[in-house]
Amino acid sequence: MKRMKSLMIGAITAVLAFSVVGCSSSEQEAQVLNIYSWADNFDPDVVKDFEQKYNVKVNYDVYGSNEEMLAKIQAGASGYDLIQPSDYMVATMIQLGLLEDLNKENIPNMKNIVSTFQTPPFDPDNKHSVVYTWGITGIAYNKKFVKEQPTSWNDLWNEAYKGRVIMLNDPREVMGMSLIKNGFSNSSTNKEELEKSFADLKKLVPGVVAFDTDNIKQKMIAEEAWIGTVWSGDAAFIQAQNPDVEYIIPKEGATIWADTMAIPKGAKHKELAEKFINYLMDPEVSVKNYESIGYSNPNEKAYPLHSEEYRANKMIFLDKADIARAEWLVDVGDTLQEYDRYWTEMKSGR
Amino acid sequence: MLNKKPVKLLALPAIVWMGALFVLPMLLIAALSFLKRGTYGQVVYEFTLNNYIRIWDPLYGQIFWDTLVVAVLTTLLSILSGYPLAYYISRLEPSKQKIWLLLVMIPFWINFLVRSYAWVIILRSQGVINTMLQSMGIISEPLPLLYNSGSVLLGMVYTLVPFMVLPIYVSLEQMDRRKLEAAYDLGATPWKAFWHVTLPMTKTGVVTGSILVFVSSIGMFVVPDVMGGAKSALIGNVIQNQFLSARDWPFGSALSIVLMLLSMLLILLYFRATKASESKEGAV
Repeated sequence: MKRMKSLMIGAITAVLAFSVVGCSSSEQEAQVLNIYSWADNFDPDVVKDFEQKYNVKVNYDVYGSNEEMLAKIQAGASGYDLIQPSDYMVATMIQLGLLEDLNKENIPNMKNIVSTFQTPPFDPDNKHSVVYTWGITGIAYNKKFVKEQPTSWNDLWNEAYKGRVIMLNDPREVMGMSLIKNGFSNSSTNKEELEKSFADLKKLVPGVVAFDTDNIKQKMIAEEAWIGTVWSGDAAFIQAQNPDVEYIIPKEGATIWADTMAIPKGAKHKELAEKFINYLMDPEVSVKNYESIGYSNPNEKAYPLHSEEYRANKMIFLDKADIARAEWLVDVGDTLQEYDRYWTEMKSGR
Repeated sequence: MLNKKPVKLLALPAIVWMGALFVLPMLLIAALSFLKRGTYGQVVYEFTLNNYIRIWDPLYGQIFWDTLVVAVLTTLLSILSGYPLAYYISRLEPSKQKIWLLLVMIPFWINFLVRSYAWVIILRSQGVINTMLQSMGIISEPLPLLYNSGSVLLGMVYTLVPFMVLPIYVSLEQMDRRKLEAAYDLGATPWKAFWHVTLPMTKTGVVTGSILVFVSSIGMFVVPDVMGGAKSALIGNVIQNQFLSARDWPFGSALSIVLMLLSMLLILLYFRATKASESKEGAV
């Protein structure tokens, strides 16, 4: 009973503490920037510098998937000023009218972005979003077990790696891979193309050790998987931990992706969010930020300022020819139901 | 009479809590299941029965069936491993019983996800078991202990077995031991005494435990993802996908409603079956 009592007191204190915090933050409402993003997506020092420079407070909440973020923004009154949807999600959110127009006058540093990312297909005029991080889904493999360097998606089907292939746990990525392998677009809505690629994919499934997105890095590092579909940024991380792991972009092409910066409709501190976007695209700030988070910096002006080591990493600075072969995932609308049905069928093993 | 009102008031917080956090969301899900998915994954407020028609696709029937098989196996294995443990604990001195019960409950203090990952560390190819066996020279290649249906079942039983042990223990504790002595006096062997006296008298515990384990395992999606390598599609995973990658909340809601009705039906049948055999025994 006594324990119960102290628990109650603890709970009440916690509630009180929260409400006090709530009060103080609403007092200085104009100076708070509420970010909703992926985990570890900024260098903490860079955020701290911003807070000091502009005398503001930055709140940072995280989500684990675009869909989780979408659900929260769709519900309305989320209170967030800056979000980081991926490419296809930007397109969806534009269609649903969930993103503000960016006021480019407040973001002069936008011109620093490399020209390839100034006209991305999901938001061709950068009207609602700016590319923040990007990468390509290629093949990571462990030299110890995969003796011959893979060159094609076909190599995942190699019998020698049966039971050691890892795939992202993501229907669009995996179906997209098989579509590309078969010479189609990764966002095909053509029934026959989907059927053919799916039939192909089904033959690969018995050789798959696991489908994983969040812990794919650990599985490659611990050598549970020898070869698989891995994001370039993750591949860089894996190689730093396990030097036997190498990375290539297959000759058929691959899926390119980007996380962006965007402002949800009705954001209370839109101008501050734009200030933050502009700040992050300052060449010197971005050098510090990107070398800390280990992702590819789309900032052209910052390139000469980066360290040799960072520039030499070809999982961070991908080859121009590889980028040229890469394709964006585009929202497939109602066909997403087909993708999901194939995905379910594949997992059910029938 | 005077006492009744305050007693009723005692239930009020629970009623409000359940109403706001259980009944209301349930109704919302039920309503959602009759709506349409928009092209961009939004919910369109138009009535349709299509979500329920789609469930008749044999693919989903198969998945419901697979899920049932896993849930039933999990329940059976939980009985087989949980009953002996509960029996053993109930025969100990009271002070030791407390320690054992504590040991059964301690895993609940650690987050379920963390415990699942602990199993990954034990079972993976560079994991505790494989490294040990390899260093002892018993095996030369790591055994594939993880990411198969066996490891999913192991994870399920491991997670849910306390829900079986505790109710069985309670019913063993409440059992009238004199009846057991009577059985022995009448010349029953220990096995016969267990089968004809102990087991029927602890049936309530087994039934309660089975329902708890069955219902929890039928909607499970974390264990198949973490310990099964997300390779199998159980109904819990399919529902999760509808709310995330497929962005089809109405279909996900329809699947949830069907799952709920199905488990209610099965529990009802299970109750009927156990009740029927009970009354038969009563007649004997």
